[in-house]
Amino acid sequence: MIKHHKKIPWIIKYRPRTVEEVVNQEEAKRLLTTWLSAWASGKKPAKRAALLYGPPGVGKTSLVEALAREYNFELLELNASDYRSAYAIRRTVGVAAFKKALFGKGIIILLDEIDGVATREDAGGLQELLKIIPETNNPIIMTANDPWKDQLRPLRDKVLLVQFKQLSTTQIIGVLQRICEKERLECEREALRLIAQLSQGDLRAAINDLEAIAEGYGKVTLALARAILRGREKKSDIWRTLNQVFYAKAAWMAKRAVTNSEEDYETLMAWINDNIPRKYEEPGDLHRAYDALSRASLFLSRAKFKGYWSLLSYVFDLIGPGITYARKEGSILKLRYSYPERIKLMASLREVRQIRESLAQKLASRLLVSKSTVKNDILPILQTIFRYSKDLTYPARLVLGYELTKEEVKYLAGNKAEEIIELAEKIKRTRRIPREPERGEAREAPREQKRASKKKKQERKGKTLDMFFG
Amino acid sequence: MSTAFDILWVEKYRPRSLDEIVNQEEIVNRLKTFVKNKNMPHLLFAGPAGTGKTTAAHALAHDLYGEYYRQYMLELNASDERGIGVIREKVKEFARSRTPPDIPFKIILLDEADNMTADAQQALRRLMELYSVSTRFILIANYPSKIIDPIQSRCAFFRFQPLKKDDIVGRLKYIADNEGVEYDPEALETIYEISEGDMRKAINVLQAAAALGKVTVETVFKVVGMAKPKEVRQMIKTALNGDFTGARALLRKLMIEYGLSGEDIVKQIHREIFSNEIDVPEDLRILIADYIGEIHFRLVEGSDDDIQLSALLAWMSLVGRKLGVSG
Repeated sequence: MIKHHKKIPWIIKYRPRTVEEVVNQEEAKRLLTTWLSAWASGKKPAKRAALLYGPPGVGKTSLVEALAREYNFELLELNASDYRSAYAIRRTVGVAAFKKALFGKGIIILLDEIDGVATREDAGGLQELLKIIPETNNPIIMTANDPWKDQLRPLRDKVLLVQFKQLSTTQIIGVLQRICEKERLECEREALRLIAQLSQGDLRAAINDLEAIAEGYGKVTLALARAILRGREKKSDIWRTLNQVFYAKAAWMAKRAVTNSEEDYETLMAWINDNIPRKYEEPGDLHRAYDALSRASLFLSRAKFKGYWSLLSYVFDLIGPGITYARKEGSILKLRYSYPERIKLMASLREVRQIRESLAQKLASRLLVSKSTVKNDILPILQTIFRYSKDLTYPARLVLGYELTKEEVKYLAGNKAEEIIELAEKIKRTRRIPREPERGEAREAPREQKRASKKKKQERKGKTLDMFFG
Repeated sequence: MSTAFDILWVEKYRPRSLDEIVNQEEIVNRLKTFVKNKNMPHLLFAGPAGTGKTTAAHALAHDLYGEYYRQYMLELNASDERGIGVIREKVKEFARSRTPPDIPFKIILLDEADNMTADAQQALRRLMELYSVSTRFILIANYPSKIIDPIQSRCAFFRFQPLKKDDIVGRLKYIADNEGVEYDPEALETIYEISEGDMRKAINVLQAAAALGKVTVETVFKVVGMAKPKEVRQMIKTALNGDFTGARALLRKLMIEYGLSGEDIVKQIHREIFSNEIDVPEDLRILIADYIGEIHFRLVEGSDDDIQLSALLAWMSLVGRKLGVSG
């Protein structure tokens, strides 16, 4: 190959030149050809704009370019950044819509990524566009990945909707094969298959990957493809994953979104857990979504604790499509995703649980009950005493009796903690504290015996610790 | 009080020796013969909470070994131990350690033994045989039917009856007088009603009520209300009103501010669901209990508590909305 040719990226070099070359979009081709030939023959179709939608990299823009060439139209391509505001739309689209073409039959106005426009701050832009469409003298074509966004609803009624299908692995392999032949590259079929699979129907991405491998090594083998594309698997960030789950059009899409997510499934589940009520509001929808999520969590615990990792697959079924199809009654809410409260509060949660655990350890052997009894039955009583006692010297004396730490007192007493701790310290200073009486010890035991028992007590303390940590 | 510290009354007024135990006479008499003979079989104490099972075991050990009995007794609580493996290690080590001077055996006290699985109980049975020369087991259970037959047949069985009204009220009076607490006599009867024959609970309620001042029927109820977070009931009502988001905010509060575990909360919801404060059709209570049971089981299996409880609340909101119950 001639050197300077190499500098043209393959996605441009191998872009389809003719309508024919566009792979596997027969229905879209038919619809658009009919629509555009009407324009070309001077009869303006009823719908003066078309919206092409489908996943990225399946040939939407390429087809428009090929059509423009074939029907002898000028092409005015505008990117999302060109038409963000009402003013910008008026200045660009508004002018082009009524211009006469210098050459050819007219001007195709191509607005790429229209779904990027339909955000709140661009609302004016969309309004402006809606005013232009019924009046335009030139065909307007828009592309979008997701035409079902609520903001695009008014637009959907006024345009010709043209769906582009996702490309299959085989179709992508075919295109890659052809490129390999033209580039005289040695390509292993299995390598092309891997590239095609990882692209998930995005031909543009597949061609870019092929080029990246070929460029460095002059051949495309499976081993090379594996090495270079490792970790290149399309991974969605969390918001995208959530979008793909909540807005999935098919079960497999939702499942793919969660299996490809970069986040581990537990984090993902925490996000879903917090965001279900931000997307669904009908009680029936909420219930079905939480039912699916809770069953996923159940499968996960079984997979984890019993080592049946093959159960993980069901987890993905439930947190992907299980969530998507939980919505049967209501519409989808537009609240922004929120960061899981659980993760935010994890630290404080852990702290409280530690305090409860240490209190339970201290009290269980003194009160001869289990730690769980302490947590459920004794701590609430202590909290009442610490928070509502008429005379705070009483809880203060309990602090001394059980040698409670400041953190423990804070947990028990809430905003009374400071006062109680101060009191306890005062009592401690003013009175000589007798040794804490151990269960089973006579308080007035003779001195020698006391010393002996102190030793035993230490031994016993060691044993108690073993008991808890053993 | 001559000392600067205080301890909880349940600890302070616990009988130390068999002689101090005023009720459960028949049981106490049998236990006293063991002390006299300086020998005993394995024992199984069964009965409801707060009837003195653990206290009797400690008193027995006290009377056998004297003041420092705790060094000759291994205290285990099945619900706190992590598996039979841990228990086995502790028993093994304990069996090897110091022997009492004039009693030929040491005691292994296993509280809440009915919380062990059947498999763990089989392993326990082997332990009992293995160390029967040097140790005696005292097993404590609320439900003896949950103890496997081979263990039951190796133990002398003691059934503890729920305490009678006089026993509890009498004890509360004794404590109140001793502590210089002012009280209305009806208040003590109310405590008995609430405690359902559970002495530990009764004494705890008395102590908490006394902290507020004079013990009256009113303060008793106040204390009982305060001792469980009001958010639980509020959460149930909010959910049954169809407000899932509101209910879940309360769930988060219970978990984070009170530090309650999923299981704690599930148990409390279960308790609440049958109270008159929750105004739902009677059959719905059962339906809810059924669902709670499923959620509880999932938590026991190690499932995420936040997610499981959210699912429970979402379901309750749906049911509440459908039936138009007001909680």
